[in-house]
Amino acid sequence: MNNPVQKYRGWSRAQAAMAFLILAAAIACGLSVYSSASSLIGVSRTAFSVLFLPLLFSLVLAFLLDPLVTQLEKLFSRTVSIFFVYVLTLGLATLLVLWLVPHLQEFWGNMRTDFPRYTHQAIEGLKRSMAALHDRFPFIEDYGLPMKLRSWAEQLMAAILAQTPQSAMKIGGLLILVPLFTFFFLRDGRRIMSACVALAPNRHFEMAHDLSYLVSRQLSQFVRGRVLEAIIVGLVIAGGLSLTDIRYAPMLGIFAGVTNLIPYIGPIIGMIPGLLIAFADLGVGGQFWWIVILYILIAQVLVDNFILIPILISRVSNLHPLLVFFAIIIGGKLYGVIGMIIGVPIVSVVKITLLEIRTYRRNFRLPESALESDRPHNL
Amino acid sequence: MDPLWINIFRKKLDEESLAYFLKHLPIFAELSPRALATLENLVHVRNYETYETIFAEGDPGSGMYMIRKGSVQIYACDQNGAEEELARLIPGDFFGETTLTAPAPRSASARTMETTELVGLFRADILELAERKPSISSSILLGLTRVVSERLQAASQEIRRLRKQSSEQVSRENIET
Repeated sequence: MNNPVQKYRGWSRAQAAMAFLILAAAIACGLSVYSSASSLIGVSRTAFSVLFLPLLFSLVLAFLLDPLVTQLEKLFSRTVSIFFVYVLTLGLATLLVLWLVPHLQEFWGNMRTDFPRYTHQAIEGLKRSMAALHDRFPFIEDYGLPMKLRSWAEQLMAAILAQTPQSAMKIGGLLILVPLFTFFFLRDGRRIMSACVALAPNRHFEMAHDLSYLVSRQLSQFVRGRVLEAIIVGLVIAGGLSLTDIRYAPMLGIFAGVTNLIPYIGPIIGMIPGLLIAFADLGVGGQFWWIVILYILIAQVLVDNFILIPILISRVSNLHPLLVFFAIIIGGKLYGVIGMIIGVPIVSVVKITLLEIRTYRRNFRLPESALESDRPHNL
Repeated sequence: MDPLWINIFRKKLDEESLAYFLKHLPIFAELSPRALATLENLVHVRNYETYETIFAEGDPGSGMYMIRKGSVQIYACDQNGAEEELARLIPGDFFGETTLTAPAPRSASARTMETTELVGLFRADILELAERKPSISSSILLGLTRVVSERLQAASQEIRRLRKQSSEQVSRENIET
């Protein structure tokens, strides 16, 4: 009687239909839950990717402006201090834009005529060197490299032309969101942080609170140091280049400053356009060598390595070159050029956090698991 | 006035407010209203169940706790693991103040004896306040120093009394033998 097969055989048709319906409903429910969950992940990913850049820029800006606000807070309330800092920053930004706009216009206007000229020169140079190579090693096949370079350059130009309005839209969006987010990070950052820490269980609250303070202090120092370093290196290069006859000196300075955020590889990438333009426009001469010295000896060795890094950047945030490459490749894969720039700082941030936790664990014995019996034994 | 309106417009500096509680602690008794308002935003209110460990001996200590509701037992364990009660604290008392300024492991353990509400003040908050509002942080630290030195004085008097008592006892035993 208890045999399940017999029981199954004993089901009436209505019971079998009901069982089938329940099973089908269960599968449908499972599928819908699965699909809604995956669409939820998709939605959150889209939302995150939209918010990622504004949040990141706002955090960096908040870290940069926080010391100023803290100084002013000794005299005024926090909101008023933030307001003053905003007015100051807005003034500085306006001056910067006023100075930059003519250069940008010139850059944009000339680039359309200059870019094909530079490509043409590069292709000619490549053709010459390929011919020389072919003379020496006749067995090397002609891969049509100059043609490939030409089509690649044309594609790049087309992409720049097509994406500029799109990037302008994005920058416009950032210009609205970043100040707004930064304001709230500056005003309520501490409250947001303590609300997050308050989620920790009682037994680990003290440690979480201490660690959050230590990590955020290290992070703010790191972010401030890197950004200041990039700004100073950019200014030195822009200033040094403007002593020569090279065109686009401010643009090249900005480019070198931004790429300087990437250790090891950044400075090399940063100097390529400057050297190429110098080579194409000025030829190999006194000015060209001055530019080489400026990029390598003055900006990198003297200013960055001897002056800025010892003062601004703590040794803690040094990354292994291999880790830098990983960060750049993965960052580039995830977020393109911006991912390449921010990948390394993000890895540094993770490293700083882990190191702080390790130092803390070394200094103190960690609390044992809260699972141990808390009840008194001999009361 | 209508009781409803009284309820809406009543100022929240009554007995249930955190500022009222802090104001009536001996450490913060001399703080100005402005400093008290800052302190109110600085502290952390934590709720504990009965017999919940607040911290154990040897844990990283980073601040002090004030008891708002409930009671707390301070105890130490000997080498065999037997517990010895050092103190039983009630609302208005505070403990752990020695680690507020200097990082050190906890010298004893603390656990709640009933459902308890604690107000925590931690070193990180004080350090951060010292950068933003040095005058307020120094007035908070002054109050703390005053109470700690009073406790130290009382402790050294107690040590003197105990030493005197033990030497008297030793001399009495010598006379008897």
